[in-house]
Amino acid sequence: MTGWILLSVIILFIVWIIFMYNRLITFKNDVAAAWSQIDVQLKRRYDLIPNLVSVVKGYMDFERETLERVITARTQALSAVKLGDKASAENALTTSLGSLFAVIENYPVLKSNENAMRLQEELTTTENRIAFSRQFYNDLVANFRIRIEVFPDNIIASMFSFQSPEFFLAEKEDRTLPSAKLCR
Amino acid sequence: MPLTFIEIERQKNWRISLLFIFLMFMYFCVTYSLVIGFRLIFFFPFLNDGLVSFVFDPVYILIIFAFSLLIAGIHFWFSASNMISFVVQNLGAAPPDPEDGVHRTLKDVIEEIHVVTGNKKKINCMVIPSLSMNALAVADLKGESVIAITEGLLSRLTRPQLEAVVAHEAYHILSGDCLETTVAASMFGMYASAIEKLESFRDDDMPGFHPAFLLFWLLVRLSNLLNMFISREREYRADAASVRMTRNPLAMAEVLHLLSRNWTGVGLIGSGIEMLCIIHPNASHSDESEGWWADLTSTHPPIRKRMKILLGMAHKSISSFEDEQINEAVRSKSSEQHYYALDPNQQWQGPYNMGELAFLPWLSPVTWIISGIDKSPMRVSENETINSIFSIIPDKNENRSNEFSCPICRHPLVETEYERTKILKCSHCGGTLVENSKIPRIIARNDGECNERIESIARAVLSDNQKKFTVKRLKGRTVEPAPLHYCSKCKHPMFRTFYSLAYLIEIDRCGKCGVTWFDADELKMLQCIIENRITASINI
Repeated sequence: MTGWILLSVIILFIVWIIFMYNRLITFKNDVAAAWSQIDVQLKRRYDLIPNLVSVVKGYMDFERETLERVITARTQALSAVKLGDKASAENALTTSLGSLFAVIENYPVLKSNENAMRLQEELTTTENRIAFSRQFYNDLVANFRIRIEVFPDNIIASMFSFQSPEFFLAEKEDRTLPSAKLCR
Repeated sequence: MPLTFIEIERQKNWRISLLFIFLMFMYFCVTYSLVIGFRLIFFFPFLNDGLVSFVFDPVYILIIFAFSLLIAGIHFWFSASNMISFVVQNLGAAPPDPEDGVHRTLKDVIEEIHVVTGNKKKINCMVIPSLSMNALAVADLKGESVIAITEGLLSRLTRPQLEAVVAHEAYHILSGDCLETTVAASMFGMYASAIEKLESFRDDDMPGFHPAFLLFWLLVRLSNLLNMFISREREYRADAASVRMTRNPLAMAEVLHLLSRNWTGVGLIGSGIEMLCIIHPNASHSDESEGWWADLTSTHPPIRKRMKILLGMAHKSISSFEDEQINEAVRSKSSEQHYYALDPNQQWQGPYNMGELAFLPWLSPVTWIISGIDKSPMRVSENETINSIFSIIPDKNENRSNEFSCPICRHPLVETEYERTKILKCSHCGGTLVENSKIPRIIARNDGECNERIESIARAVLSDNQKKFTVKRLKGRTVEPAPLHYCSKCKHPMFRTFYSLAYLIEIDRCGKCGVTWFDADELKMLQCIIENRITASINI
């Protein structure tokens, strides 16, 4: 009799471990998927920037500095590998693009150029998508971190050595609203 | 999971089955009482058994039950699965035009919201060609969902505000309460608003009782009864979710403030589908009050309460927020810089803003201008910003489309951007050819302020047309028939008409191609008249 009870407790325990483990794996994969979403949007931005620069260049000779800052920020972001570096490089790129948009506002000529406006709209939406996918990713990471630190789950997490993923952080001055306000 | 609370909401869907049971019960009661009544009238003299066993005959109950199940099933399925196409037809909604700047922004914003919800479900978007301000979400049993926004709202929102609206509607769809509302609205409301639409086309010559009106009344009552299934709470939840997605409670509060002060589509949005909207088009007293009865019967919570909650998230009080909004409106009217320019006839023209200046045909680097601030006249070439206009003129963003020529002066029409949409313009006489579907959005946008010149011409034209129109009505013929123009596209004669009896601007329409010809300045006059509510001054 005691044997049976012991056996069923062990079986229940194993089932519970399997259940917990599977749930953690699901969380982990959700985080990875969210990260790849950010990557897709970042890639989109890298592709758009050269187009915008080539359109804008003809009109704004005396704003070379702003353009060059955008270009260097882009190259830096492209070459960054580690997550922390990438985050700061991306933030630099966002800031430089923001100042470029602000400069464009002063050029009524550019504002009547359909190509430039279209590209600016494309970039604005990409900026927002980056912000949104980052927000989604960070929410997932926060949830995952809580999961692997609270009591019963943390045993399993340490048993199978789950790593807590890093946040994709925004710069301090970037904490206010996204650049969305620049458009329209 | 960031949006797990949405998954939880899904469980509420049992209410849809409740709706179905309600429908079946209704059919059962109606059929049963009809059958029993019929039998009582015809078979009462031959009654052998007691009355009770006669009324509650199990065979009849079973047959009628099966019958009402079938009818309710058919009704339910046909209503609930056609809701999207119904809304599209009833409100004339159309998918966004990829050539249109504002519509492109809407599409992009939908994609952005798609990203922030973690790519859960594909949501389509549509635009309703109306000047009213409202937005609605529809989802049907097939799993398709649409967010529809009116042109009027679209043209007035900034980007963060549009994001807030779309996020609000997207939450309704993702949480499944949009499906619930759609089903409830489709049961009776869909038919009620269809009848309402038909009624509005009917001539009002025969006053008094009309059978369709009774049916309409019945359907609206039934539809109101179903409102009890729809809780007001879902609007609060959707507002909260919108803030959660966009992290911008102020934008949502601004939208509600804007909506509460404008025409939200009474008359356009049928009374059966009001519950799908972001704000009730025809807010009644009970909608704006609280208490259990209002909670039970109305579908939308009081708008000020919604704003209060949102402003609470932003740590702002409602009174300071309202003052700010009013100041903002006053400031935005006066802040824009204006220029006056000396035309070839040595007359000062204006005020123009930068964009209008760029499109003046006679502007050259030696033209004299006065800017609104320092007031001293100078040449265009002396002003850095205005002079830059000329650097783009060689590659101006106009494509010559040689296929079409101006109906008046036969010059080729060029495609040009006006109010962020594409129209065909004759650069010689200044007339424009606009597709009929684009007229509402041009009127809704009105970016370029209407200046004094346009306004004074508009007043003169209106009074003149009003006079002509009155004479025509009295004498039954036109004063002087002008030659008709021929459509640039199909070469058939266009018919001449007024834009509407309220806005007496003469236009030429081609019924075949669905385009409208405006003579020079007529389109601007029309915008000006509608924006400033100018009416003809009649002196008898």
